[in-house]
Amino acid sequence: MLKNNVKMQKNLVLVTFLFIPTILISLFMIYPLIRLVALSFTSWDGLSLTKTFVGLTNFKKIIFDSPEVWLSLKNNGIYFVGHLLFIPIELFLAFLLDNRVRNSKMFKTITFLPYMINTVAVACMFIFLYSSQDGVLNSMLQFFHMDKIGWLSDPEIVNYSLTGVSLWKFSGIHIILFLAAFQSLPKDMIEASIIDGASTFKQFYHIVLPNIKPVVEIVLFLNVRGALQIFDIPYVMTSGGPNHASETFTVQTINTAFQYQNFGLACAMAIVLMIIIIIFSIIQKKLFNLKG
Amino acid sequence: MEANLDIKKETTINITKRSGSGGEALKVLLFIFISAIVILPILITVFASFKSLPQIGSESALKPPTSLNFENYKEVLKSANVFVGFKNSMILVVASVVINSLLSTMVAYCLTRFDFKLKKAYFAIFLVGLIIPGIVTEISRFGLMTNIGVYDTLLAPILIYAGADLMQIYIYKQFLEQVPVSVDESAMMDGASYFTIYWRIIFPMVIPATATLGILKAVDVLNDMYIPFLYMPGVENRTLSTLLFNCITDPRTSSIPKLSAAAVIVMIPTLVIYFIFQKYIFSGIAAGAVKE
Repeated sequence: MLKNNVKMQKNLVLVTFLFIPTILISLFMIYPLIRLVALSFTSWDGLSLTKTFVGLTNFKKIIFDSPEVWLSLKNNGIYFVGHLLFIPIELFLAFLLDNRVRNSKMFKTITFLPYMINTVAVACMFIFLYSSQDGVLNSMLQFFHMDKIGWLSDPEIVNYSLTGVSLWKFSGIHIILFLAAFQSLPKDMIEASIIDGASTFKQFYHIVLPNIKPVVEIVLFLNVRGALQIFDIPYVMTSGGPNHASETFTVQTINTAFQYQNFGLACAMAIVLMIIIIIFSIIQKKLFNLKG
Repeated sequence: MEANLDIKKETTINITKRSGSGGEALKVLLFIFISAIVILPILITVFASFKSLPQIGSESALKPPTSLNFENYKEVLKSANVFVGFKNSMILVVASVVINSLLSTMVAYCLTRFDFKLKKAYFAIFLVGLIIPGIVTEISRFGLMTNIGVYDTLLAPILIYAGADLMQIYIYKQFLEQVPVSVDESAMMDGASYFTIYWRIIFPMVIPATATLGILKAVDVLNDMYIPFLYMPGVENRTLSTLLFNCITDPRTSSIPKLSAAAVIVMIPTLVIYFIFQKYIFSGIAAGAVKE
């Protein structure tokens, strides 16, 4: 009797507690995902009631007949490489911030500051820095009697300028993640090495680095995902210009859907992106483990 | 890495090396250089927000304004509806944080304390959520939002922010796993129902985690541009982020001094949160890294 009562109560709790979350997750996460796959096989324009099934046409079009899509992926590659090159630096900075530099708390606060600032506000700040007239960087160049640079207007340079903004904004999060990993290491391990007289560099390379491998892997994965999905910075600062030069994969996908009303194709692009992220992460993980 | 949300007193074993003072100076110099890179763009923007357009053209960007001239701020407050944006952002923050903490703790409670059929499905969803590229899947969620009639209302972002934050469920779950079940059991002996246990014991017990996750959520919501941009094009529904985005193209506010003033206004809320709740933010990020 009492046991039955408890069991009934358990079921009641499960139903009342999980009902709303389960509906929300199904409706706003799982259903859109299924719909994404389904729509990728249609030529839907996002408005009309009929959705014509077109088979693999969208995927064929992306792979064989969309040079602009692959060009945009090259731009994503610039963000990816930029952040990848910064990872060793971020690791080293985090290592120093782990009480190895005076005022490390203050420097930690400053290092993470850009990550907390609204991306649109960051974009505004850098629009001024990069501006061709009155811009801060060009005024500096002029001061040194050098030629002005079209930071955001030169198609050859714009992606590097935007990657710079991305580095400014997002490097802090990597540093904080690495720092958290360092701080979770047992202190006596490092102390022992200090007594042995190991230099800061030796402590870093031989003792600390091998022990934070999992976090390095996380950051590498976040970098793949972040670089392939970069959207806000190019969209707000250049809207993909000049003449599509700074469009990234996600900017193109969103434009394909909402500007060119080709939802079917955009959904196929989303799936291609998902596959690229998965493949890239696996390859990177394999390479990383080979080396480590 | 251990998921430990307790705000630990950082054990300050001083591992700074005492010997090489030259190396110490070099490290400090390195961080002063990094601090300059972080702070200068912000400082330049704050300076510019107090200058007039001719001053921007003729003065060095690093020259502090000669007087605190709030003309640009007044102009921005007049032409962009900052108060509406602030109000909307606050509604989104409060609704998302409250709903999300309730729903997430309820799910985490069920996941850690009971066995039930959907449990495996929930764990599978955690993995799926990791791979899905959030930006592009919005294309297929878009149709759903228009269909259920929440498009261009504050409900659309609230449903998304509060609905399916798997990361937070996961962190709560880890937190609850550290709370011994014997606590529940002894309450049960005293005749408490599962509901009472959740509300009187579990929920109060996870308040430290709720503080951390709530602050992180608030910052995410305040800084998000994409979801409000996509789902709430109406002028009356602008948030701080979309309002600033609009300032970039609006000729009344697009000049550098006015845009700078608008950017300063928009970055203030998250920076205030950052300076007050820094510790919580850092510990929340460290806990989140465990999942990914």
